[in-house]
Amino acid sequence: MHPDLTLRIAGESGEGVITIGETLCKIAAREGLHIVTFRTFPAEIKGGACMIQVRLSEKNISYHGERVDFLVGLNQEALDENLPDLKDHGVLLCDTECDLPEERLGRTVYKVPFDRIATREIGSRISKNIVVLGTISYLLSLPKKRIEGFITEKFARKGKTVLNHNLDALQKGFDFAERNLGKKDPYKFPKGNEQKMLLMTGNEAIALGAVAAGMRYFFGYPITPASEIMEWLAVHLPKLGGTVLQTEDEISAICSVAGASWAGGRSMTSTSGPGLSLMSETIGLLSMAEIPAVIVDSQRGGPSTGMPTKTEQSDLFLALYGSHGDATRVVMAPTSVPDCFRVTALAFDLAEKYQLPVIVLVDQALSARLETVEPRLVKRAPLASRLTAKPNDSSPFTRYKIGESAVSPAALPGTVGGEHMVTGMEHDEKGNFACDEETHTAMTVKRFRKLSAVEDDPLTHELCNRFGDEEAEIGIISWGSSAGPVEEAVSIAKNLGIQVQAIIPKILNPLPHQELKAFLDKVKRVIVPELNFLGQLASLLRSTYRIPTIGLTKVKGVPLEPTEIVKKIVETAETLNVRSMKHYGRAG
Amino acid sequence: MEEQDRSCEYLSGVSPVWCPGCGYYGNLSALVEAFADLRLPTEELALISGIGCASRLPYFVKAYGFHSIHGRALPIAQGVKTANPELTVVVVGGDGDGLAIGGGHLPHVARNNVDLTYLLFNNAIYGMTKGQFSPTTMLFPITKTSPFGLFGEAVNPSALAIVYGASFVARGFSVRKEHLKDLIIQGMQHRGFSFIEVLSSCSSFNTTDMNVARIIKNIQMVPEDHNPEDEIAALRLATDKEKINLGVLVRNQRPTLGDRFQDMQKKAKAKAPEAKAQAAMEDLLAQFA
Repeated sequence: MHPDLTLRIAGESGEGVITIGETLCKIAAREGLHIVTFRTFPAEIKGGACMIQVRLSEKNISYHGERVDFLVGLNQEALDENLPDLKDHGVLLCDTECDLPEERLGRTVYKVPFDRIATREIGSRISKNIVVLGTISYLLSLPKKRIEGFITEKFARKGKTVLNHNLDALQKGFDFAERNLGKKDPYKFPKGNEQKMLLMTGNEAIALGAVAAGMRYFFGYPITPASEIMEWLAVHLPKLGGTVLQTEDEISAICSVAGASWAGGRSMTSTSGPGLSLMSETIGLLSMAEIPAVIVDSQRGGPSTGMPTKTEQSDLFLALYGSHGDATRVVMAPTSVPDCFRVTALAFDLAEKYQLPVIVLVDQALSARLETVEPRLVKRAPLASRLTAKPNDSSPFTRYKIGESAVSPAALPGTVGGEHMVTGMEHDEKGNFACDEETHTAMTVKRFRKLSAVEDDPLTHELCNRFGDEEAEIGIISWGSSAGPVEEAVSIAKNLGIQVQAIIPKILNPLPHQELKAFLDKVKRVIVPELNFLGQLASLLRSTYRIPTIGLTKVKGVPLEPTEIVKKIVETAETLNVRSMKHYGRAG
Repeated sequence: MEEQDRSCEYLSGVSPVWCPGCGYYGNLSALVEAFADLRLPTEELALISGIGCASRLPYFVKAYGFHSIHGRALPIAQGVKTANPELTVVVVGGDGDGLAIGGGHLPHVARNNVDLTYLLFNNAIYGMTKGQFSPTTMLFPITKTSPFGLFGEAVNPSALAIVYGASFVARGFSVRKEHLKDLIIQGMQHRGFSFIEVLSSCSSFNTTDMNVARIIKNIQMVPEDHNPEDEIAALRLATDKEKINLGVLVRNQRPTLGDRFQDMQKKAKAKAPEAKAQAAMEDLLAQFA
């Protein structure tokens, strides 16, 4: 009985690889299992290698698994490429036609003539993936009734012929396995607790979180890997009376958001690095004019066009500092799919409450990954709203009043007696342009006081995920989707007898100083794993806390692997043992 | 006399920063007089601009004003109108703001037929940065950044608006205030995107292109028998090499962006009958089960 199983299906785009993976996920989610997936996308529109990795567990998991227990290779190329990632005692399922390297002989291998069954017996080459699914269901003792039910759901719309073809394919794949393959391995589909889980991608969770937080106006421009957010909203937001508009470019998208938000609507856009670059000037306007907005950046390999279908965490500097002048903004970074929902919803509360732009950083891997979410985690109502002025509040209306609170009431257009100017120019309390020395200082301070207020706000507390051994001298600080591999690495290190603790701040501007300082007081070394070349979070931590850091950076377009982090932990543990404390300051 | 008094109610009290002799004073008068004639409540008026001399106008008017960034007034206005369709949205900007840096937005706001009025004050020069050529500079080739002459042909704002599919296109002249006021009223009463090019003299940096005496000599009113639904005829008038045609060039009726949003919501709701937000949220979650 294996409570934790990692499967990978690899083939060519168009072979139905993703359908196999998603079907397994759907069934597992209904069984109440926890799931995290990872999938690759070919850069080509048609064809190209693709794979989906699915990790199923009875327990809560945060990473898609490093090496796989069960590999399905749909063609020779996919097999050759993915075989090195199969565990030594793992299982391989492939087509009869595939050649196996010497070292695989004698291990658990199942060969099935998938192509032949599909083309000759079913008469439909495209049903090959369903034949594969049938075989998998036999090998892993999957409840076949559930698969049949799911296939009926999926194909019923396409008519009886198509449905029967697929049910037939499932049966043939199962029957062949039952007759010809003796089960030689211990792997089984884990058993769930029957508590039904929801299954969604990071992008879907972001869209859902925005809707739950009351977002009703979305403007965006298509870009990989963020487009699915807009596509999902385009279908569903109008049902709630909301609006989705594809604009002519990202500048128009963020400016439309600025306009809709100024008029009082909860508004957002989503993009990737190239789009965020274009939006930078307007982020300054939102900061200056004190207008709420939520901007989601699903990061991909950069700079420039970079690697649109590959993951990276290299937009942190852009999110923190992009735009000229001293421009205020909040930057947040969820770590998992349920977190995408929670953090996005919170982004709206902060944007509205503090009247400023909030940037939510995710990345390609998190955007695209399917993960289970407990239904209770995606129920939420807005927790804060914009401070607005009543009719005839003051004459003339004082939009940018400097008072005890850094936040001044906004009169929404349409409010009687609230007429005023908002502007990207430096302005006095009434909103009239002013470039005298006192005003610029006072207004800059007003805008930055809001960030201090964000830090003190109970809404932003509990935005750090701290785990590991609280007495450990080795500390890890990481962010975003790298949190998953870090969590795995900490538990692997524990098994190796190395104590480690980690903290993952989900808000990166303003940094959660209280939690980070408490953490830094405890540890002697700080490793900062992240997916960029410069070590952007490490740099931020060094400049903020004047501490040395040990960078662990990777720019391969794929997530960090726990063993890469464990290696760094081991190295660090060795230096701690052999070096005296006076070397402490040189570790960075 | 009574009308004159009412227009003052639309002034904020902030004094314009424009040079003495600037054509924009006339445009401002025409605009506030149009507001007064239409008896618009000031709180329902959203006045949006980008950057440049013309874009300073919202400060001088009593309304909800948004002085934004260079070239981006149109998408901002699109967002404002989307979130609050009750507002009367007017965009004001110059030729550099609207046709150089912001030139990419005009086609889309025009084709989407966003229900707003866009006044493009065309003075054929960059005034705020003190005298560089603009996309409409034509007869004044030697500017601070073109000391040896211009680099390209001038664009024709009204002709562009027609080709982009604006549902209302008119051309006025800062000196003909009453005529301009009438065009602004017609534009604001038009349901859809109204583009009004206002030929405006710059008294400091280009007195040639919009030379008042020259323009007065060359203008003629759009012929009474012009059919504003005939875009080809309108284009002919807009690009007339002999005469500068003033008046309404295009006027046609078609659904606005707001109409299309309503249609979209109706279609979407027909698929999901739950009208209440909470029920709809539950419905959204069901697809992930």
